[in-house]
Amino acid sequence: MKQYYIPLSLMLLVVILNACAPVEDDIFTTARITITTGDDTSITGVQAQAKLTNVNTRQVTSSADFVVNNITLELLRGAYQIDIEGVVACVSQDGTTRHRQFRCQCDYAEFASRDMNEITLNIIFLD
Amino acid sequence: MTDMKRLILTTIPFLATILVSTAANADSALVEHTTLGLMTELEAMRNPALHGFGYRTSFSQLSLGIDIQRQSQAFVLEKGTGYTLPYLKVNTFHHLNSRSSVWGEASYTTGKQHNIRWNSTSDYDLLQPYILADTLGGDTRRERYAISGGYALRLGQWSLGAEMSVRAEQEYRQHDPRMRGIVTDLTMRLGGSYGLGRYRLGAMIEGNIYKQTNSVAFYREEGVIPEFQMTGLGTEYSRFSGDKRSLYYDGGGVALMLHASPINQNGLYTDITLDEHRYHRKLADYNSMPLTDLYNEHAGVTIGWKRVRNYKIAVFGHFDYTRRTGNEHVGGTSDARYFPVIACLTMYKSHLLNGYVGALLGKANRHIVLTAGYTARSEEYVYPQRQLGTSHVFAQLQGQYFFRPSNKLWLTLNAQASYRACVSDEFVMPFANMNANITQLMRHKYNYDKANHTTIGAKARADYAWKNTRYGLFAELGGDFTFCSVGEHQTIFQSSIGITF
Repeated sequence: MKQYYIPLSLMLLVVILNACAPVEDDIFTTARITITTGDDTSITGVQAQAKLTNVNTRQVTSSADFVVNNITLELLRGAYQIDIEGVVACVSQDGTTRHRQFRCQCDYAEFASRDMNEITLNIIFLD
Repeated sequence: MTDMKRLILTTIPFLATILVSTAANADSALVEHTTLGLMTELEAMRNPALHGFGYRTSFSQLSLGIDIQRQSQAFVLEKGTGYTLPYLKVNTFHHLNSRSSVWGEASYTTGKQHNIRWNSTSDYDLLQPYILADTLGGDTRRERYAISGGYALRLGQWSLGAEMSVRAEQEYRQHDPRMRGIVTDLTMRLGGSYGLGRYRLGAMIEGNIYKQTNSVAFYREEGVIPEFQMTGLGTEYSRFSGDKRSLYYDGGGVALMLHASPINQNGLYTDITLDEHRYHRKLADYNSMPLTDLYNEHAGVTIGWKRVRNYKIAVFGHFDYTRRTGNEHVGGTSDARYFPVIACLTMYKSHLLNGYVGALLGKANRHIVLTAGYTARSEEYVYPQRQLGTSHVFAQLQGQYFFRPSNKLWLTLNAQASYRACVSDEFVMPFANMNANITQLMRHKYNYDKANHTTIGAKARADYAWKNTRYGLFAELGGDFTFCSVGEHQTIFQSSIGITF
């Protein structure tokens, strides 16, 4: 019987190796979006709604949980369109605090890595 | 279950009477090649080395026939309400000498598939859920050419065999939405078997290459409707749905089968099958961008015991498991119609368990088979979570009887009854975020997946032999009626005429 083990084992090996479907169950990732004014003004607080639209599935994820000037979301790995709109508290160099309406937009952001994905966006003041 | 009980109680005495009544010895090639008693060997005969020596007699048949199926409402929307498929087929099995045999089959089928909805792709059973779909649908025309052939050779205790089959098929619609699917499917099998003591051991390896070109066109000035790239349980790949209507499937796989059975037909036997097939869906419009990959993995085992003396007796158990895994490719930003793939996520998972036990009792010209089992199917789309699962118990009774009213005439009667009852079901959908069309599609699927089915069927065949020649004429007529607990029914009608030689 020994002479049949080798061809049978080889046939089995071919099927088993071929049968390993690549399963990727790690489908979620963490995305951190930081907003900046783009000048020497510092942000002390944000009250805004961040809307992330998955480019491929059109699924929308929204959150308003800003911590100072950044927000962290759990998302399906993929490419996103980002829209943020709200009010930001800015402190200028002379110590004056102003509350200003702003908007932030990005047409394409890749959040495809399994670990932390980070992006920094400049805000546009509306007032 | 009451319907089933009544059905079995009325069918068993009929089949039992047939089984114990006397009849002519059935030793013709027709009986050997079409007997229900072969069911314990059919799985093993996928191995060409075993197929080549599975019959003692040579037998060929040319037939012209028609298969008709009608459903009062589509059981599966994607497969339509039925078909009308006339065909011309020739199949042959021939012993060249005591050490070698050849066999082959060629067929041409053309006809119509009726009222298909939510599917613009051919070979739905193979490729689902990764299909192209629209809400309109309609009848499609089908044309299929199939050819296969094999050769087996015996060298002492060894036997070796090879087989190849090719299927070329096109399905199309002559009104909007004008779907077209052109399929090429090539399968090759190599097998060997060895007589060791009182057992014959067999091994077979199979390779398959599959391709389909699939597109939908609109010619009328009324405009177009969107075509959806479906991704399972009513979900779609939104970014590439709508006007992306040209794609192709590229796939194939391998299978391994091991077999052991007693040479004298008395004792334990087993068949083990492992197979894996994968199908990649690519967008022809965007430099063959891969959209989805589907992996079908299957393992099956049959263990049985049989004894052939005056009567053939067999008891067997079968278990198989099929896993379907679907990966979606996440497209990045485009550059000159080239989309890089930035991630690949497993979003669709399906599991199918099937197990049954059965018993076969028969003589050369009459057989009765009873099987009973359990099947469970679950489908899941990972996020947003969608789940559909059902499990059923089933029982089936089949009977076959050959008899010879005169020297020139053979009659073959087949009858079957089965019942399939749902024992559990699960349905989870994010209905709040689903549109009305998709909700209707998924409710329809759920209602029919969990339905109970009662089927009865019968088939009769008459063979007339020409005196002093090896030629004969035959006519065959059969039908099945299935009642579904949803309140709908299915009728199947089969008819053929031809010559045997």
